[in-house]
Amino acid sequence: MMRVLPWVYLAAAFVFIYLPVATLVLFSFQDGQLPVPPFNGPSLRWYADVLGDSRLTAALINSVLVAFGASLTAVTLGFLAAYGLARHVMPGSALIRALLIAPLTVSYLIVGLGLLIVLTQMGFGLSLMTAGIGHVVINLPLAFAIIYAAMGAQQQNAERAARDLGANERQVIWLVTVPMLAPAIGAAFFLSMTFSWDEFIISFLLTRFDVTLPVEIWSMLRSGLSPRLNAIGSLVFLVSIAVVLTLELLFFRKRRS
Amino acid sequence: MTAPVTLSGLNHWFGTYQALVDINLNIEAGEYVTLLGPSGCGKTTLLSVLGGFIAPSQGKVMIGGRDMTSVAPAKRPTTTMFQDYALFPHMSLRENVGFGLRMAGVGRAERNRMADAQLALVGLADDAEKRPHELSGGQRQRVALARALAVGPDVLLLDEPLGALDLKLRRAMQDELKAIQRQVGTTFVHVTHDQEEAMAIADRIVVMHAGRIEDQGPPARIYRQPASLFAADFMGEMTHIDVQVTQQGVETPFGCLHLPAPQHGAATLCLRPEAIGTTGAQIDLGPARVRDAAFFGTHIRAHLIPEAAPDLVLIAHLPPGDMPTAGDVLPLSASADTITIFPKEP
Amino acid sequence: MSTKGQHAQGWGFVAPALLWTFAFFIVPFIVMGAMSLATLDGRTLIWGLSFQNYAELAEKRFLWRAILVSLEITLTVTVVSVVLAYPLAWIIAFNVPKRWQRLALLLAILPFWTSYVVRSYAWLLVLARDGVVNQTLINLGLIAEPLTLANTRFATVTGFVHFFVMLLTLTIYANLVQLSPNYRRAAQDLGASAFQTFRHVILPLTLPGIVTGAFLTFVLCIGDYVTPQILGGNTELTVPQVIMVQLGRRADFPLAAALAIVLMGIVTVAYLASARWLRLDRL
Repeated sequence: MMRVLPWVYLAAAFVFIYLPVATLVLFSFQDGQLPVPPFNGPSLRWYADVLGDSRLTAALINSVLVAFGASLTAVTLGFLAAYGLARHVMPGSALIRALLIAPLTVSYLIVGLGLLIVLTQMGFGLSLMTAGIGHVVINLPLAFAIIYAAMGAQQQNAERAARDLGANERQVIWLVTVPMLAPAIGAAFFLSMTFSWDEFIISFLLTRFDVTLPVEIWSMLRSGLSPRLNAIGSLVFLVSIAVVLTLELLFFRKRRS
Repeated sequence: MTAPVTLSGLNHWFGTYQALVDINLNIEAGEYVTLLGPSGCGKTTLLSVLGGFIAPSQGKVMIGGRDMTSVAPAKRPTTTMFQDYALFPHMSLRENVGFGLRMAGVGRAERNRMADAQLALVGLADDAEKRPHELSGGQRQRVALARALAVGPDVLLLDEPLGALDLKLRRAMQDELKAIQRQVGTTFVHVTHDQEEAMAIADRIVVMHAGRIEDQGPPARIYRQPASLFAADFMGEMTHIDVQVTQQGVETPFGCLHLPAPQHGAATLCLRPEAIGTTGAQIDLGPARVRDAAFFGTHIRAHLIPEAAPDLVLIAHLPPGDMPTAGDVLPLSASADTITIFPKEP
Repeated sequence: MSTKGQHAQGWGFVAPALLWTFAFFIVPFIVMGAMSLATLDGRTLIWGLSFQNYAELAEKRFLWRAILVSLEITLTVTVVSVVLAYPLAWIIAFNVPKRWQRLALLLAILPFWTSYVVRSYAWLLVLARDGVVNQTLINLGLIAEPLTLANTRFATVTGFVHFFVMLLTLTIYANLVQLSPNYRRAAQDLGASAFQTFRHVILPLTLPGIVTGAFLTFVLCIGDYVTPQILGGNTELTVPQVIMVQLGRRADFPLAAALAIVLMGIVTVAYLASARWLRLDRL
């Protein structure tokens, strides 16, 4: 009894964890109007429907653009701040660090709400750009924290050696610091992309006509249950895990060799 | 509290890898035994089998005359002192030492009294309220010992107990461990890879290699007359000389010697560095040229090239009196009873 | 190089990030604080130092109900998630063979990567009146009529728990495997039963990790709009839902801002309550 109990629990946990995903994917192949039992199919009609939907493809491209732009900005700003704080003695550096990390402790809803209030008071129009600004606010602390934590004495000695050999500040950063910190910078960028790609509430509050994919899915939801939503959800899931697994394998290979 | 241990016919496999091979070992009550060998030799596996953390694939573990092969660690009259000490960081020293008594249902007042007595035994009577992180490495080691002894085990198992300490402290703790063992009388089984530690502390050394027991006996015997070439090498530095054992005796570059030898054929003759001297012992090694020499305080360690065998380099510990210089030629000799000969390994 | 020059150079690197945080986080935050003290006259905003919005929170039933509902849901979710995730992490760490642990863990958190909105929608499918759960129970003959599962607090809690069990399993697992296996061995060697080992040794040693995970769950859960909106329906509203209602057709920004400030106040209290055990630097 005590021997099987853990395995029963494990199985039950996996059923709970996979129940919604399995239902989502199964009924994306539904040959009918409703994604509920009984299952008729399989049919690929909803996938064809989704892939032919220009609003969805536009939203998808918007999402990639916002995620890429926001991540690039966040990682660049985060890297520069980490470099400045780790390599230069500055008064009040503890306070600066706390300030840069602060947005991490606040709900996305509140970050979005604050920006919305300021932007509307200033008469600023909402667009993909404003959503991107919001995404940088939430991703910058993460990028800064990851890169700052990775800046150890080892890099500092390499930087000193480079300076000693005649490199100027720009050359030190480009030829020594950035290549040595590439794993941390890559991780920060990847995490930033993931968060931005999946972020809903800030995009919802700060966009108007052009929207990101989660916001588009949200508006589709208003018309009720539909296998179309299953199809688009399954596609997003498939692409995400493909990316995650690829990265996992790449990192795993790298670490082993 | 003490008990004898008998291991018979032990074999253990991890998958296809055989970690223990035909282990038979008797340990007497109150004996201090060290299991000595390089990492991967099976000594820690053997200790885990004794402690009940690994059930052996084959064989029997008897402790105090009772079969303990499949008894859980909690129910055995053994306790283990772990290499990383495994002191509970969220408990004071008193709570750590009293933990086993608490599990046994001993009341608070009684167990605090017993825990304090154990802490006094290891010299930490004043630190009972402290937490493990406030202690030095040597002090943690003492607490781990006190905790393991507090439940009054028949057999105490020590897994590289001094491994985390620096050399000086390790030598001091060896003496202390030995003294405490004498005082409590418990059977101690101590795993180590340090042959000096083993010699300093053990009544009996068990040398292990590739899952087997290579040799066992008192330290002096193992050092002087080891049972195998591996045991000989592991106990200390030596010069190996290729020889032939024939009808006439042992044919060496230094002539034919009459020594007790194994079967005829190619063999390896082993010479301990301290066996070689310049004072004219029984076996004459002829003149040898000094390649280099270094002062070690208690002796001078020298590499010498004998004229009789220019391909050979002898390692010798010479008396620390006068320092030879490179190029000097010294007349060397060795005493017969320190020489061991083993059949050449294929 | 002089210290002054060093300072100037350091500022040069830090300034862009600092300015960004200041302009798009600190300033909005201050403006939001000011907004919560403003009032609305019809459609016109009147800046001032009025505590009318906060007074309304105490007076109007739908407002303080929302705070209560949010707290109830969040506390339930936090407790249930920890209680469910701990055994799962334990089993993966101690019962699953070493070589399969990485795979088991990866499988346990893979649904993380379904889109956030889609995950709640998928639970709606599962819990719908003619959804998978009801159909299965009817086919098994366990119930005659479908149960009302969707658009209830139960659905909201289920959706949240699903997400946070994955998160907590990951953090608790990391905590368990970093403990030396010798702690367990030592406890058992000294006569502790499996339960005593857990109660006296493993649980106290993993408590900081649990509290950190629980705090994270609390913060993310209480500020979430999507899950209660999709799964809970409109039977009862949480604070984020009420905030969104104020932003929508009523355009009552001052009240929304006051609610946001209250939300932050609750998180601060939760932080202070758990600060003793929190290890945020270890996240």
